[in-house]
Amino acid sequence: MGEPNHPCVLKIPDFEGPFDLLFHLFEKNKINIQDIPIGLITDQYIQYLKDMAKMDMEIASGFLVMASTLLHIKSRMLLPKIEVDDTEKIDPREELVRRLTEYRKFKEVSETLRSREEEWARVVYKAAEPFSREHRVEIPMDLDPVLLQDSARRVFAAYVPCIEDTTPKMSMILQKERFSIKSKIEEILGLLKKKLRMVLKDLFHPDRAGEPGAGREEMVTGFAAVLELCRAGRLKITQEAPFSDIIIYRKEENHGSKKADFHD
Amino acid sequence: MDQKKLISMIETLLFSSGDRLTLTRMADVLETDVKTVKYAVRILADELQAQERGIRIREIDNGYQMHSAPENHEAIARLYEVRRKQGLSQACYEVLSIIAYKQPVTRIQIERIRGTASDSAISKLAEKGLIWASGRLDAPGRPILYETTQDFLRVFGFASLKDLPIIDIIDVPGMIPGMVLPDGHEPGIRDAAETLPEYAGLNIDSAE
Repeated sequence: MGEPNHPCVLKIPDFEGPFDLLFHLFEKNKINIQDIPIGLITDQYIQYLKDMAKMDMEIASGFLVMASTLLHIKSRMLLPKIEVDDTEKIDPREELVRRLTEYRKFKEVSETLRSREEEWARVVYKAAEPFSREHRVEIPMDLDPVLLQDSARRVFAAYVPCIEDTTPKMSMILQKERFSIKSKIEEILGLLKKKLRMVLKDLFHPDRAGEPGAGREEMVTGFAAVLELCRAGRLKITQEAPFSDIIIYRKEENHGSKKADFHD
Repeated sequence: MDQKKLISMIETLLFSSGDRLTLTRMADVLETDVKTVKYAVRILADELQAQERGIRIREIDNGYQMHSAPENHEAIARLYEVRRKQGLSQACYEVLSIIAYKQPVTRIQIERIRGTASDSAISKLAEKGLIWASGRLDAPGRPILYETTQDFLRVFGFASLKDLPIIDIIDVPGMIPGMVLPDGHEPGIRDAAETLPEYAGLNIDSAE
């Protein structure tokens, strides 16, 4: 019943929730939902929760909420009925009945779903053909094993030098770092010497965005530098609302070692 | 193209695709209109059904797909070892029912109806591809909205959401007409069919 990977699944066996338990009690006592003997049901409901507690079972909060709802209704039933209009009297059980009725409908539908699923599990579908959306794919119909073997050999022959060629990898490693966290930290500290506060996006230079990857690279580095400085207690950041500007404040230095533990 | 030829072409297309083919796609390929295709595919589907053939055609979300005849499943089971799919929990069916009728709906709304936590059932259903997070409600916390998927229709044998069993609200006792509930919750789901999104609308002119 309980799904794995979700450590906090608390459930009373057989009952999905408080409504489920209530319906069980109605059935047991042959009760008409339109006229619930609230005292009897409240007592039995609470007794059930007590039994669960005795068995050292944890009770999901929804069950407790329902217990308090039942007690509330019971107490209101004991009071003289409130005259709303001259004609209408509000039954304290009404809201509960409405919710129970609503829930019961979905419970019934879920039974229908279960049987429909079983019914439709009896059919199978043909696996989709691997056709492409573009209907121009040509499928060679004159395949022969020798040709296939030959093609495979040629593919591997072409592939091996390819993976042994380390040029692209090397050029990536050797590519000069355009922005480093260290240089960004120095830049931010420099800027904050001049002003007390600044907006995060002023840190970036839109004109550099023309260089491939530079815009994103700078933003990531700059953002990491801000976080790093924040961690080190050198600045404070605030944001008024999601997606609004992030504002950076200078924090007065209160420790000596300036470049304490920044690493890039 | 006469109708006999059209039906034959549709049968070929559906067989070759295996997967669901939309009406618009078929109309495109057959250089005719959606209405004509729909009419023809229905004739074909009815024929297969009436003649109790081994292959049937079913409608899914403005498209059609071939499938085996359900009554022949014993034969398939003897041919292959059929993987027995693990069923869903009671909680999952309840949550799925609520999403099916109330979509798009948030977790809180689901839990209000069920009176109990439903997050694990929701994640299980999403994992199974029966529901998806279709967006966020423009309200504090921007809660995720859930809707059922096309696979939901496939698994439970519905042609569209309009195919869901109609739930009657007339049996609700003690309802004061026009009563406004404290939580602003619309009482009952009488008009579920009208309030469902266009997701699976049967209006074939607007298909896809």
